[in-house]
Amino acid sequence: MRIEEHPVLEFKRGKKVYFTYDGEKLEGYEGETIAAALHAAGVKVLSHSDRNRPRGFYCAIGNCSSCFMEVNGVSNVKVCIEPLREDMDVKTQKGKGKIV
Amino acid sequence: MVKTAEVVIIGGGISGCAIAYNLAKKGVKDVVLIEKGYLASGATGSCGAGIRQQWGTEMNCKIAKMSCDFFETANEELQYDGDIEFKQGGYLLLASTEKEHEQFKKNVQLQNSLGIHSRMLNLEQAKEIVPHLNTEGLVSTAFYEKDGHLNPFHATEAYGRAAERLGAKIYKYTEVTDIVVENGKVKKVKTDKGDIETKIVVNAAGGHSQIIANMAGVDIPVYSERHQILVTEPLEPLLGPMLMSFSLNIYCQQVPHGGFIMGRGDDTEPRDLRVTSSWQFLDEMVKTATGILPPLKKARLLRQWAGLYNMTPDRQPIYGPVDDVEGFYLAVGFSGHGFMFGPATGLLIAESILGEEPTINIDRLNLRRFESGDLILEPSVV
Amino acid sequence: MKNVELLVIGGGPAGLCAAISAAEAGVDVLLAERDEWLGGQLVKQTHMFFGSEKQQASVRGVDIGKILVKKVEDYKNIEVMENATVLGLYEDGVVTLQQDGNYVKVHPKSVVITTGASEKTLVFPNNDLPGVYGAGAVQTLMNVYGVKPGNKVLMVGAGNIGLIVSYQLMQAGVEVEAIVDASPNIGGYLVHASKIRRMGIPILTRHTVKEAIGKEALEAAVIWELDDKWQPIPGSEKKLDVDVMCISVGLTPLSELLWQIGCRMEFVGELGGFVPIRNDKLQTSLDGIFVAGDVAGVEEASSAMVEGSLAGLSASSYLGYKIDVEKELERDYLNQLSDLRSGPVGEKIRQGLAKALISQEVTNPGQGS
Repeated sequence: MRIEEHPVLEFKRGKKVYFTYDGEKLEGYEGETIAAALHAAGVKVLSHSDRNRPRGFYCAIGNCSSCFMEVNGVSNVKVCIEPLREDMDVKTQKGKGKIV
Repeated sequence: MVKTAEVVIIGGGISGCAIAYNLAKKGVKDVVLIEKGYLASGATGSCGAGIRQQWGTEMNCKIAKMSCDFFETANEELQYDGDIEFKQGGYLLLASTEKEHEQFKKNVQLQNSLGIHSRMLNLEQAKEIVPHLNTEGLVSTAFYEKDGHLNPFHATEAYGRAAERLGAKIYKYTEVTDIVVENGKVKKVKTDKGDIETKIVVNAAGGHSQIIANMAGVDIPVYSERHQILVTEPLEPLLGPMLMSFSLNIYCQQVPHGGFIMGRGDDTEPRDLRVTSSWQFLDEMVKTATGILPPLKKARLLRQWAGLYNMTPDRQPIYGPVDDVEGFYLAVGFSGHGFMFGPATGLLIAESILGEEPTINIDRLNLRRFESGDLILEPSVV
Repeated sequence: MKNVELLVIGGGPAGLCAAISAAEAGVDVLLAERDEWLGGQLVKQTHMFFGSEKQQASVRGVDIGKILVKKVEDYKNIEVMENATVLGLYEDGVVTLQQDGNYVKVHPKSVVITTGASEKTLVFPNNDLPGVYGAGAVQTLMNVYGVKPGNKVLMVGAGNIGLIVSYQLMQAGVEVEAIVDASPNIGGYLVHASKIRRMGIPILTRHTVKEAIGKEALEAAVIWELDDKWQPIPGSEKKLDVDVMCISVGLTPLSELLWQIGCRMEFVGELGGFVPIRNDKLQTSLDGIFVAGDVAGVEEASSAMVEGSLAGLSASSYLGYKIDVEKELERDYLNQLSDLRSGPVGEKIRQGLAKALISQEVTNPGQGS
């Protein structure tokens, strides 16, 4: 799902990094967000609401709070703006966030 | 806008809407309610919306119990197609000193005698109800499972719609500009949308009650004080009851939506009808709240806001007719507990206006108590 | 607590220009940006801008961003705080921020708020399915990160953003099945619409979304036609097999900070929602608090830049800085805004601004045209 050729833009991707998504090892690039890396890997469903409806991102710039996931054990992380880092543990969030 | 009305109620918070509903239900045909903004746009909509029956005076216990009983069946009673979201998770009152512990014991005894089955819990028992409670520095707790919390917007809307169904008229975004009194009798209410002739006016204007009273030439011993609140992001259920501590000066509750709502009182807050927020409140509140419930350190804050407490010298409401101006009634000065008293206010003021036998005698809450000096002192307020 | 002269909130086109304009006048500026980089939404604007030379017309938005960021970096009297989200503006003038997990307080003498806008959504069954994205989100995903939003797209909204993003989707190798718009007319510029039509994408006016279909993510969209009274015509339903629906129905100002501090606000539909009442120098109802860009009313990035420059100038003057050419600069900015808002395209904006400006101080020549 990555754009390899573009008439106007050239994508200078950062260093390749690995992270886990629900236990599965995925790759992405430094400098991109978690949501972008997941989307590139074909993952659109980021959470299930407390009424068990699937949720993806909507605005992708940190305004709408539709993209919450659990990252390194922390709930309600806006993955559309959270930069991807090596070894991140990213999980599909179920329901509202947890603090315990 | 109508030209005449039997009763004009000023203020579209819980009190005003409950009074309108009760009057209409008792058959009063021309009830008019005037609200400057939208329903619950003042103190009602900005309050913590806790419902507690654990009070320290007989009067407050009775009023609170009567209101709580009503809220339990309010959705059906008011035929509301929404939900007032009454969550009865109880109130857990925290005692930090021996003195507080003794006071709670006295309160529980009084409450029990009035049908409020509250009880003292030791710290271990308290932790069974709130596993994450930090009991350090606490002596004991008092608990009543029928206390709780509800959604103030839905509750007010429920009353408002029920009143309208029974024929009451509600004018929103309409501001009262004057009250005409002739020969000691109420004649007319002037608004920015037109005038209404009436013999009875009810002042239920919350934080603005002093201004409305002055329009009728009445001076009431109240002032409005800013109180602040904050709410966290919605989180999975963690806290059942409302936590409340008088010495730490905090109430904190997780609402059904998942957010933790918390607030406190502060004598140094401005008394100029301001409802802006301060960072000092935020900083201090966060320290207190994470102190009693440490997991909150991980919660993100979403929003803070403020509302007005309409304060009286004895922290008790002023109910009923004003002796000097015939037809002018007060439902003001709730001092921070107007929301939870809403259903009682509605019924008791309607009975007072119609001259009916009162369900609870509210004579002691009349304005004249400030002249006679017969004040009621409630020991348990935030 | 850190004392600063001028705090600019937001490092998008308006904020960058406000910071530059104030720094040029000699003001010490603190520029707070919540993202890790400056430029705001310019980073995803791969198309060339309209307007005149002064607003960098014919330069791609992303490159305009780079030029502005470079300028900001060159000023010694601009301090940039990246990754810094402003949390609150308080009555005593204190502003709280969160930067890299730290809680910071600053006390500015004046503030320019340029927080921009957020995308609106549209109500229809299953509009929360993953794959139903804002047009800006799709733009960010493909133009900033080089990731395709999906394979087949239904674009909802034929305004400029809808048309431009459709074009950019085709550039990225994504198929655009159709563009629908509830209005009988295409809202965007004719030149964009013609380009789209030449590429073979149908633009269906008087059409809207009936529902989205899908279990875990979007699998199809059902559209239907609207009659003269904007009512859907039963039987006109068409099912489109798309995995992305791109919602381009406008933006609304991100005005929370203005509400919090107590600026007088007014609902102006033409400007996207609640906007601050302001004078022609972009000062709000509160002394020393200025606004610029989409937060003051949703417009184009070109006008956001000019407004930024104007707000920066006004703030400098408010702070007591004597600027030799102040009157000339001010006139120039106002003229530029007037040009950008001229003609039939700017009519809606002109009507909106007339409602948001404090009337007795209206001297903006743009209002009369």
